[in-house]
Amino acid sequence: MTMDSITLLIQIFVSAAIINNFVLHYFVGICPFLGVSRRVDTAFGMGCAVTFVISIASLLSWTLTYYILRPGAPLPAWLWRVAGGAESVTVDLSVLSYIVYIFVIAASVQFVEMYVRRFSPKLYKSFGVFLPLITTNCAILFTCLEILKQLQDPMRLWGLAEALTLGLGGGAGFTLAITVMAGIREELELRDVPRPLRGAGITLIVAGILAMACMGFAGVDKSIETTVQYLLH
Amino acid sequence: MTLTGPTAGERFINGILPENPVYRQLLGMCPTLAVTGAMKPALTMVAATAFALVSANLITSLIRHLLKPHLRILVFTLTIATFVTIADRFLAAYLYSMSKVLGPYVPLIIVNCLIISRCEVCSSKQSLGIALADGVGMSLGFGLGLASIATVRELLGSGSWFGIPVLPAAWPDWGIMLLPPGAFLVLGLLLATIEWVGRVRGAKKRARETSA
Amino acid sequence: MATGFTLLLAACLLLVLAVAAAAVLGWADRAFHVEVSPQLEAILSALPGANCGGCGFVGCAEYAEAAAAGTASLTLCGPGGASCAQALAQITGSSITPTFPYRAVVHCAATGRQRLPAVKPPYRGELTCAAANLVAGFQGCTYGCLGLGDCASACRYDAIHVVDGLAVVDYANCTGCKACAKACPRNIISMVPFKSDRMLVVACCNSDNAPAVRAVCPIGCISCSTCSKKSSLMHMEGNLPVIDYDAYRDESDFVEALAKCPRESLIFVGEPHPADLVKVAGEELPARIEADFQTTVDDTQWWG
Repeated sequence: MTMDSITLLIQIFVSAAIINNFVLHYFVGICPFLGVSRRVDTAFGMGCAVTFVISIASLLSWTLTYYILRPGAPLPAWLWRVAGGAESVTVDLSVLSYIVYIFVIAASVQFVEMYVRRFSPKLYKSFGVFLPLITTNCAILFTCLEILKQLQDPMRLWGLAEALTLGLGGGAGFTLAITVMAGIREELELRDVPRPLRGAGITLIVAGILAMACMGFAGVDKSIETTVQYLLH
Repeated sequence: MTLTGPTAGERFINGILPENPVYRQLLGMCPTLAVTGAMKPALTMVAATAFALVSANLITSLIRHLLKPHLRILVFTLTIATFVTIADRFLAAYLYSMSKVLGPYVPLIIVNCLIISRCEVCSSKQSLGIALADGVGMSLGFGLGLASIATVRELLGSGSWFGIPVLPAAWPDWGIMLLPPGAFLVLGLLLATIEWVGRVRGAKKRARETSA
Repeated sequence: MATGFTLLLAACLLLVLAVAAAAVLGWADRAFHVEVSPQLEAILSALPGANCGGCGFVGCAEYAEAAAAGTASLTLCGPGGASCAQALAQITGSSITPTFPYRAVVHCAATGRQRLPAVKPPYRGELTCAAANLVAGFQGCTYGCLGLGDCASACRYDAIHVVDGLAVVDYANCTGCKACAKACPRNIISMVPFKSDRMLVVACCNSDNAPAVRAVCPIGCISCSTCSKKSSLMHMEGNLPVIDYDAYRDESDFVEALAKCPRESLIFVGEPHPADLVKVAGEELPARIEADFQTTVDDTQWWG
């Protein structure tokens, strides 16, 4: 692994986890963020489950996108040539991407749930109940869409490592946001919140303040390159 | 009310204010926060969601007797994904600049809790007319919710509405309104306002009932 | 031709994905199959499904598993009650010894008016027991009921309310789910087996010695030990009497102890005695009979 690739991986991870936090900057995964963030242990469980599913989904979606779905992908091109088509025409299956992603996400979540239920009942008790909810979590589909965007740009063709790092970073960022929010909400239980604001209202306002705090990290990803090079020399 | 639940007309009215998807059900938060920086993207998003919701409701209602219980969520999701792909390609073809502004949030309509929830709760169990009325009502409610947030954010953030300058040029644009924190704060405060109004009206109604 | 080929390829891809997913998930369903016995299904449907946690398990599903495996008593379900225990016994084919419903009992009998305030300035914090318990100076007695209603908010069966600054259980509605006991930050709610409609309980939880108790409450237990001397079913643990509920038979065990208690620390909770009901049939009674006690502190004003 070259210096540049390590730097890129660190940039992707830090950007997804902190600077462009999936919840606080990209607004994905808001529904569980508002719903499951009442207690710290359930929030952390949800965060871990989401990270796990995002990683699997990013691996599968990268593989499918790289080899089949992006414009100029190897498998359709090879099939086209075998069928006797002209070299200059590219076969573009990217219109299927959304359907394929959601299908893959749903199937992998189902598979993971069955596996965890059978082989690790303790783990199933702690976050198994969240797994069916995660199928409709925007954050997973958003990760897949980000990977698609990067693979459509010939200048920034991401490899499997980059895709996985994006998934892990996004999941870590989601876990961070939801756990912090749960801690704050536990404290808010003992405070005098005006009645109309109780519940979703105050949670959104606190999320707004957290988003403001996250904005403070803007520009950090530019200096990661110099920092990494400084640290590794 | 019919024996099986609210009629089509009741469902239509229900979706606009009493069970408003944004303010009462708190569903579909992701696009609500992301694209409401200005009115135009907000209404385009509403149109795309409405198309997906109504079409998905129609198809689901047509095939409701063929659904197996353990596969139904997958069937709903795939149906919605098809219609969202159509909407996304349509936007990319005819409204390219708007499609760039909306970015990844159009495909995220697929996992919009609102549509899946309506399919599950209503159209997989009701006939075509009722599912249609429910879909249209919910879309109008969703539009109302998004439009209210977008109005506040655009007025305060750029002094304009639908791109037309409304506030005087001396208005200092509240940049925060166009950024993520502004979205959270505006939604939280509007939610609180709706709660408070509902509470005040409920108290007045109870006072009228007890005194009458 | 390219368009046609793309369409064909798209259809093939979706078909392949569907077949692959079906194959993998079908295999997984069989390979990862978890044996769920029909007995477990039956037990689950017999339980009320409230997921209250009163049995000590996280939810009805966990209790069902334990009951099916025989590792848990079949009578633990509070909301389910005796009928549920019977049903479980029938399903698992085992027998149950008759047991009594456990109901919540608040170990404090001092209403707001009786409790003496602390000498510190009045409490200005959030009006919940959890918050008030965190600071000193809410009221004189640091053990007793705070009267801010965390238990009432936790109760799903409308069975406990704060009346005149004291938590009072409505035994017509109490199902013994223990939600109030878990919510109380001072842990003064315990579960008592109701062997009859009225049970005697120790209505004080202040384990300080007599002068300290007298300074903060007119009716709290002063540890004179008279009750434990008069009744064989009571003994002193530290400064408070404890009733042995396993050996409890009926009120006749406690007649002398009740008569001799100088404070109002032993009370009956539950259904009122029929004789008492007849006596007060025509009257408008306050929630409790006030004790007429002279205290050593003159300011007996409840600051609320």
